Amino acid sequence: MTALLSIRDLRIAYRRDGIEVPALKGVSLDMEAGERLAIIGESGSGKSTLALAVAGLLARGSEIDGTINWKIPKSQAPHSFALPSVLPDISPTRGEISSSAAGSPPATPAVGETDRDSSISPQVGEMSGRTEGGAVERQPFHLHDRPLLLGRDIGFVFQDPSSSLDPVMPIGKQIAEVARTHLDLTWREAYAKAKTLLQRVRLPDPDSALHAYPHQLSGGQKQRVAIAAAIAAGPKILIADEATSALDTIVQAEIVALIRRLVSEDGMTLIFISHDIALAASLADRIAVLRRGELIELGETSQIVNAPQQAYTRALLDAHLGLDAEPQLDRQGTSA
Amino acid sequence: MSVLAVTNLTKRYHRGGKPFAAVDEVSFDVGPAETLALAGPSGSGKSTIARLVLRLIEPDAGRIDFEGANFLALSGAALRARRARLQMVFQDPLAAFNPRATVARVLDDPLRIHGIAPRSERPHRIAALLERVGLDTGLAARAIHEISGGQRQRVAIARAIATRPSLIVLDEAVSALDVSVRGQILELLLDLQRQERIAYLFISHDLGVIRAVADRVVILDAGRIAESGDARAVIADPQSAVGKALVAAMPKLIRNRP
Ligand SMILES: Nc1ncnc2c1ncn2[C@@H]1O[C@H](COP(=O)(O)OP(=O)(O)OP(=O)(O)O)[C@@H](O)[C@H]1O
Ligand SMILES: Nc1ncnc2c1ncn2[C@@H]1O[C@H](COP(=O)(O)OP(=O)(O)OP(=O)(O)O)[C@@H](O)[C@H]1O
Ligand SMILES: [Mg+2]
Ligand SMILES: [Mg+2]
Repeated sequence: MTALLSIRDLRIAYRRDGIEVPALKGVSLDMEAGERLAIIGESGSGKSTLALAVAGLLARGSEIDGTINWKIPKSQAPHSFALPSVLPDISPTRGEISSSAAGSPPATPAVGETDRDSSISPQVGEMSGRTEGGAVERQPFHLHDRPLLLGRDIGFVFQDPSSSLDPVMPIGKQIAEVARTHLDLTWREAYAKAKTLLQRVRLPDPDSALHAYPHQLSGGQKQRVAIAAAIAAGPKILIADEATSALDTIVQAEIVALIRRLVSEDGMTLIFISHDIALAASLADRIAVLRRGELIELGETSQIVNAPQQAYTRALLDAHLGLDAEPQLDRQGTSA
Repeated sequence: MSVLAVTNLTKRYHRGGKPFAAVDEVSFDVGPAETLALAGPSGSGKSTIARLVLRLIEPDAGRIDFEGANFLALSGAALRARRARLQMVFQDPLAAFNPRATVARVLDDPLRIHGIAPRSERPHRIAALLERVGLDTGLAARAIHEISGGQRQRVAIARAIATRPSLIVLDEAVSALDVSVRGQILELLLDLQRQERIAYLFISHDLGVIRAVADRVVILDAGRIAESGDARAVIADPQSAVGKALVAAMPKLIRNRP
């Protein structure tokens, strides 16, 4: 079986004042359709960078090397999608989304030419890539005649929930707009869908919440709205960057159950970024551990949790603050 | 005497045309160098209490005493002076800063505005603050949007401690941090508390974290206090329905240790 997502030797550096700051140093990873992958690692290890890169959302000016290939099958088995209407216009003759960055192997069906020195800055939803010194326009994340679309192909929940919400638009309209744009619905249908989605993410009183502005919601409520917007068009891939970090355990458990259902019933593929290793383990088939831009360990969840190969992974497991263990913090102040 | 005492605090909003109390007659106090945690489900009123205590919004009823003074009666210069003693670290570090400002600028502001250090001393102070929160001093020149989420949160903590406050309100300040950094930050907070006798109003939905850092906990439900008491005792054996539900839903890490 071919991988849905194939990442080879991905290197990403941010450029600041002419200096390159490496964020990912040669990451390779494959994902199957329908798989649930968790990415864990310490702050600054490159988790968000990896997530943004695979969604084609990296800021312009970042240096990318290596390849990211998406292969989305042109027809899904009918039972594998609960919402077939969600994917109305993937062209039947062209079923492959692929992307290629500089240095991609010739076998990769890249759009545009590969050019060793060029840097790309994929922007999902925008037709133009960056042009380098008069070279061909790059559209690295591309389904031959259209880019990989945020919302329709990939749902992205950003680490910072307010950055995905428009502060001056009622939240019902924000969700409805995603559904309307990608699912070809009328406004009335889109609003009905928005309300259903708010129910699915367990927002209290969805009727009045439709008319609320982001500042009128609590942190956890905003996070749930961001999740609702991300899944509104029934994307095949959901990338959730710390999407449940502001939620209490009760709502978190409900959101995790919702994500599980989306994966099993709607055939969604999940990339779940979390600093909470227990949460990651409860949701993922496999866990990838990033450290300082490198993928230091990747394995089945049970292997990572029970038989980690790396000391760093063990340290992450030991640092988990559960209710069962004695907290390791020194509260009595002997160290002054 | 307590650093902060809140009495019958009430804040109402409208939802679907009807008024409802986001915070409903809430009373608690925080002693010097004490950590009081506020826990409770999403939407239970935790952040609203934080905003009220910081006077970012005004209550409909109730009283707030800070360092022995009626905080709601202060205004102008007296309020500004008192505010240096009351700092905050929020859930969402990006929203708290201008993303284009450099880290150095973010830390320079409080030192300058509150006259903490003369200009010549500030670069040194900034470097010391960064080291204090476990950040490389080289980060000083970077823009806020050019550092990771966890790094930003550490900058926010560095800024909060810059003015030597007596109370810091932390709203989900460690929720987005990975466990290793979170452990370091919690250690740092406890260390600062011991050395400088800072009190914390520590808001978190994470009972594991609360159990590790808080002396006492108040559990809120729909704007009201459901129960309160010694943090570890309450979490070990919650009495209220909401406390029981929060504990039962904790994700558990089941490991077969070799
Ligand atoms: N836009 C940017 N410009 C420059 N450097 C950046 C930018 N975004 C991130 N970095 C740097 O790249 C590295 C990886 O950051 P990234 O945000 O991917 O980490 P992360 O694992 O998601 O961390 P966290 O858990 O704190 O969110 C960090 O050193 C960070 O400072
Ligand atoms: N400006 C506002 N206008 C109307 N309702 C508001 C406003 N601010 C907060 N609310 C409502 O008040 C209630 C309490 O919100 P608050 O932000 O205090 O919750 P919280 O306990 O911090 O939740 P979370 O854990 O999700 O951050 C919520 O139902 C929220 O929707
Ligand atoms: Mg991140
Ligand atoms: Mg809140």
